[in-house]
This record gives sequence, structure tokens and C-alpha cells, in this order.
Amino acid sequence: MMTVKLQIVIGVAILMVFGTLVNMIRRRSLELKYALSWMLVLFALLIFDCAPRLLIVVSDFLGIYAPVNMIFFLGFCFSLLIIFSLTVALSRTSGSVRTLAQTAALHEKRLKELEEELEKERQKKE
Amino acid sequence: MKKLVIIPAYNECGSILQAVDDIRRNAPGFDYIVINDCSTDSTLDVCKKNRLQYVNLPVNLGIGGAVQTGYIYAFRNGYSLAVQFDGDGQHDASYLEEMALKMEQTGSDMVIGSRFIEKEGFQSSGLRRVGIRYFSLLIRLLTGSQVTDPTSGMRMVNRDVMRIYADNYPKDYPEPESVVAVLRMGKKVTEIPVVMKERKEGRSSIGGAKSVYYMIKVTLAILMERLRG
Repeated sequence: MMTVKLQIVIGVAILMVFGTLVNMIRRRSLELKYALSWMLVLFALLIFDCAPRLLIVVSDFLGIYAPVNMIFFLGFCFSLLIIFSLTVALSRTSGSVRTLAQTAALHEKRLKELEEELEKERQKKE
Repeated sequence: MKKLVIIPAYNECGSILQAVDDIRRNAPGFDYIVINDCSTDSTLDVCKKNRLQYVNLPVNLGIGGAVQTGYIYAFRNGYSLAVQFDGDGQHDASYLEEMALKMEQTGSDMVIGSRFIEKEGFQSSGLRRVGIRYFSLLIRLLTGSQVTDPTSGMRMVNRDVMRIYADNYPKDYPEPESVVAVLRMGKKVTEIPVVMKERKEGRSSIGGAKSVYYMIKVTLAILMERLRG
């Protein structure tokens, strides 16, 4: 079982990561929407860190022999979930980037055409 | 009738002028637009200096995104047909009028310039030809239509297909997939024989390990397209 010392070290680490996360959201370098899932992970870790016995109870309930295996398994599933949601988000973003780039490029072209027409008009007047 | 040639260009400063000249001389009834896909060479400068008609994409979108820009441009500016034309010297503009004529005569929605009807000119390398034949077979099995050169970058479309492409166009290696998309919607696709040259500038985007990715991606894309409808 975990020593109290390890519990404290892990607890401090979790709080530090949490602090970094909050700071990044504050500075708007991380969107709250995407940070939520990470906060959830940290929260779960903190609970297990404070009450290691809970780990045994849960793994018994799921029928997993070693609590550490359950951590690995759940961690793995959760990582996959987050990565998958990121690919979905990325697909959506790349679609928007494409539309934006195309619209900007076509507007630039139109602007140039209008400028040229204007120039012609002006020359006609003079 | 307004007709547009779409020339997607990525790092083709050495051949783009020739392509435009070719169109001006051999397809005088066509307007053209160069889509500069954020080239890292002097393609943009060449366009500016020679006062070419061009659209300059601010970020690199890949061939699919660039070609789609051309179709959107064509659709919004009221062109009744648009044709894709490579700026690397592979294509010959003297076929464009012939394609337009074929389109009108057969009432097709799309006309593809095929290297493999009369089997003349540069036929691509052996292995690549096997791949193309495989896609051709796959398309026939899935749609019942015969397309001998589904990877041809020389394709002419009417406004119906323009609208379809303006809404949706594959990102990379778009040719076979986009033909299937059009066939799936019950549009008529015909081919005319053309002769293509070996490219003067640049290299094919497909080769080595990429060709494995290419085969798998395009196969899946075709199957997915079939699943859509």
C-alpha cells in the first residue's frame, strides 16, 4: 500500500498540474471546453490519492485483481477517449480553416478586381 | 457561354506561365484562374509580375482545397462550365474545346480527359497503371459506370457538378473519390481520349510508402462515398 509520504507527493503534483491548467485557461491558451476532461481526471486522481482504500473497493467491484491494473486500464480508456475527441475536433477545425482560407482568398481577388475597375473609372474621368 | 480553366499551382513558378500561354493560344474561348496554394517558391511573384488572373490562398490547403477554391470561384462568377488543368506541363490545352464540345453533344455533366482510351502519349509507369486499372474496376463494381482514367486531373464539369464540388471536395488525392461522388448522384460522366506529357516541373505527389497510403485511402474513400448513397 501507499505510504503517507507518497500520498503527499502525488497530492502536491496533482495540485500543481491543476494550478497550471487553471493558469492556462486564465491566459486563454487552453479552452475550458477541452480542459474540463483533464480536470475530471485530476479530480478522480485526487480522490483516490486521499482515500487509497477506495481503489481496492472499486477494483473489487469491477472484478479486477490488482487495483494498479484498474488504474492502468481506466487511464488507458480515458486517454483513448480524449484522443478520439481531439481527432473529431481537429476534423471540424480543418474544415473551418479550409472554408476561411478560401473565402479570404476569393475576397482578396474580388477586392483587386474592384480596385482595378475603380482605377479605370478614374482614368476615364481625367 | 462563360468557360473557366482552373489551374491549381503549388510551387510551379517554372511552368505556370507556359500553362497560361498554352490556354491563351489553344483555348481562346476560356478564361483561366490560377489558384496559388500558398507556394513556398516564387509562384505568387510570377503571377503578380505577369498580371495573371490568380487567387492566392493564405494557407496551404492541399490539392483538394485548392481545386475546390476554383470551383467555388467558377460557380459564384456564373461560369457555365469549369475545367481542371494542371500547371506542371502535363496537360495540353488544345483538348479543352474538344471536351466542351463532347460535353454539349453528349449532354454529360462531367467530361474526363483519359490517357487510356487510345493509349497514346505518356502512359504513367507500370505499377501506377495497375493501380489506376484497379480503381477503374472498383468504380465499375460499385457504380456500374466505366471510367478508364479515374485519376486524371483533366476534368470538365457543368454547373450542377460545380455546386456539388463547391459544397464538398476531398482533401487529398481527390480525383477518384470525387468522380464516384458525382456518379452516385446520378450524373453522367463521359471520357475523351487525350495525350498527356510527362510533367516538366516537380514530381508526382505519389510514390514509395506514400503509394501504400494512397491505395488504402482512396479505396476507403470510394467505399465511403458509395455508403453515402
